[in-house]
Amino acid sequence: MISRPALVLFALAALASPAAAPAQASKFKLKAGAAGAVCLDCHGDFQDVLKKPFVHTPVKAKRCTDCHSPHASGFKKLLSAEGNRSCAGCHSVVPDKALSTHKPVAEGTCMGCHEPHASAAKFNLKKPGNEMCSSCHKQVLEAAAKAKARHRPVEQGCTTCHDPHGSAKGPSLLKQPLPALCTGCHKTDKPIFAKQHVGYGVAKSDCTSCHAPHGSKNRGMLADTVHAPVAKGMCNQCHEPAGTPGQLKTKAVGVQLCRGCHNQKVNAILDKGRVHVPVLEGIACLNCHAPHASSGKGLLRGGTLSVCGKCHGDTLRRQERSPSKHQPIEIGDCTSCHDPHSGNASLLFVGANVVDMCGSCHDWLKHSSHPMGEKAKDQRNRNLRLDCLSCHRAHGTEFKKMLLNATQSEMCVKCHKQYQR
Amino acid sequence: MTNAKTRLALSLAALLAAPAARAQAISLVHVASIYEDEKDRPLNKPEGVVCDDQGRVVIADTGNGRLVTLSFANKRVTGGAEVRLAQLPSPAELQLDPKGNVLVLDRKARKIGRVDAAGQFQGFLEVKGVPSPSSVLPAAFKVDKSGAVYLLDLTSVKVLVLDPEGSVTRQLDLPRDGALFTDLAVDPAGSVYALDPVGSTIWVADKAASAFKLLVRGVKEVVSFPTWLTVSRGRLLVTDQNGHGLAVFGIDGSYQGRLLGLGWTDGLVYYPAQLCISEAEDLFLADRYNSRLQIFSMTVK
Repeated sequence: MISRPALVLFALAALASPAAAPAQASKFKLKAGAAGAVCLDCHGDFQDVLKKPFVHTPVKAKRCTDCHSPHASGFKKLLSAEGNRSCAGCHSVVPDKALSTHKPVAEGTCMGCHEPHASAAKFNLKKPGNEMCSSCHKQVLEAAAKAKARHRPVEQGCTTCHDPHGSAKGPSLLKQPLPALCTGCHKTDKPIFAKQHVGYGVAKSDCTSCHAPHGSKNRGMLADTVHAPVAKGMCNQCHEPAGTPGQLKTKAVGVQLCRGCHNQKVNAILDKGRVHVPVLEGIACLNCHAPHASSGKGLLRGGTLSVCGKCHGDTLRRQERSPSKHQPIEIGDCTSCHDPHSGNASLLFVGANVVDMCGSCHDWLKHSSHPMGEKAKDQRNRNLRLDCLSCHRAHGTEFKKMLLNATQSEMCVKCHKQYQR
Repeated sequence: MTNAKTRLALSLAALLAAPAARAQAISLVHVASIYEDEKDRPLNKPEGVVCDDQGRVVIADTGNGRLVTLSFANKRVTGGAEVRLAQLPSPAELQLDPKGNVLVLDRKARKIGRVDAAGQFQGFLEVKGVPSPSSVLPAAFKVDKSGAVYLLDLTSVKVLVLDPEGSVTRQLDLPRDGALFTDLAVDPAGSVYALDPVGSTIWVADKAASAFKLLVRGVKEVVSFPTWLTVSRGRLLVTDQNGHGLAVFGIDGSYQGRLLGLGWTDGLVYYPAQLCISEAEDLFLADRYNSRLQIFSMTVK
């Protein structure tokens, strides 16, 4: 039922809208009956646009000047304001204090998703529902379609759980914070819920710690890679027994917890000269790995780029700016050069010898005519020997081929000073 | 004087005073680079350095698993004796205590060892007064003039303040959300600064404070990957490991500029690490992947 104040607002709106066309007419001193119609004299193709099922309100009312300046404008397509500022005049779509905002909204590209005049899809979308989201989030929707265990809301539409513009309640544009969003449908007080969770009181836990909300290959929509104790329902291997007051507490903290099963691996990591700081800091292994289930390989908390990039964003940004790209970084294969846990070599390299390490992909380097290796002293610094990193930076520079200087000659004379002009 | 004239005079006075209040510019002039010990054995990826006001300089020659001691007086370097200790196979960060002992954070032992002035190992610093002393993992540490040790504990994610015998006298929780701390610094007034390269922040806790408060946000707007922190005469010097340089902040959090740059020749740096500034404002920098120690004279204008 519509409330009384809402009815009053509707009535006011209805009374106000016919006045807009005369206002437009008087603003531009149009002849009687010319408002709206005068634009269509030239833009005749708009008659077809107006036949589409969903027409933007000002277009339907033939109030072209709500968005366009008819004589001249400093903006494209004679818009009265820049880009989505025209839209923001009427549509306030991002809540105050938003916790998450959709990238196109933040970037002001409303027309990435919406047709400004008319469309065959609801909300003037360029494509209907999930098909629109799939333009950017193809991987998510394709994986969801192939999933053995599917989540019905994904099929019903992404907007079942996500607000397409912004959310003041959750990350990732979620309409509610977790677990409230999930418990809206999945009732936690039913006996089956307790049975499915081996008696652990997880009603207030983050469901995505184990479940893939867009579907997965596993029963119960557990994320694709499941930690063995979780898969076997042996939560008490790491946690206190179900039903006890501290049931969700772990039996140990940090590396000590993981040592229970992965002792050999942990010893091998800690035996090296340099240990990657997150391996030991606070929650230790869990800084990068998910304890229950993950869609990433090796139970990583995401793709390598997002896990490594959480701390080493500067390194990834350098590659983004570089005119030449290093392929392992492009494909998120940081571990092809670096050991993520520990090592004895510089920069946690997987190999002690840089030339050999680079040579595992760049075979031609072994035939390079420039001397490299233990016998080739670096002319700039007597404690260094020449290797690939003497001239290149693996994460990119502002110059081509990841070189240190703009021209090869400029770089060569750093050592071969006799040729400097 | 009329009110208007008074206001004008005050404005002029403020305008004239403004340059004095502005941050002082620091410049570094290269004085010397140390490539070898006294027997011409080259340094290998040194990570730590410490200095005192008598010209004593100790290098943690990490790649060679040893300490190298030098003297620096009248802008000249002498000495270069090696101290090699089985207990400290991977020395990384150094501090001096008031008795002249070198405190060494060893990356492999993951403990702080004490080495006397004669180069003899005096034992590891045993932490007392926490529920599980053996679980304490120092990521970094500093020693103040009284000999108190400020230890950044990876396990508990706290700064533990220890008396010279290792008993915990104070604990400060480090912020957790999206942060990961790599170094800390202590100024003569007892304020503790903590560097977080992941959250891109620097935090401070005054001598009497029970918690850290945010001092600098957005450190990574001017620093690629901040890893080491040094406080000297009202300035915070942040070693930019991946950006190959130093960034200077005031202890009020103001950004004051950058020093040094990437390179292999003297005066330039390649993945720099710990630094030490003497009373005479000589700056000693462990130029890690250039496998040398660089000495700069610091001038403030």
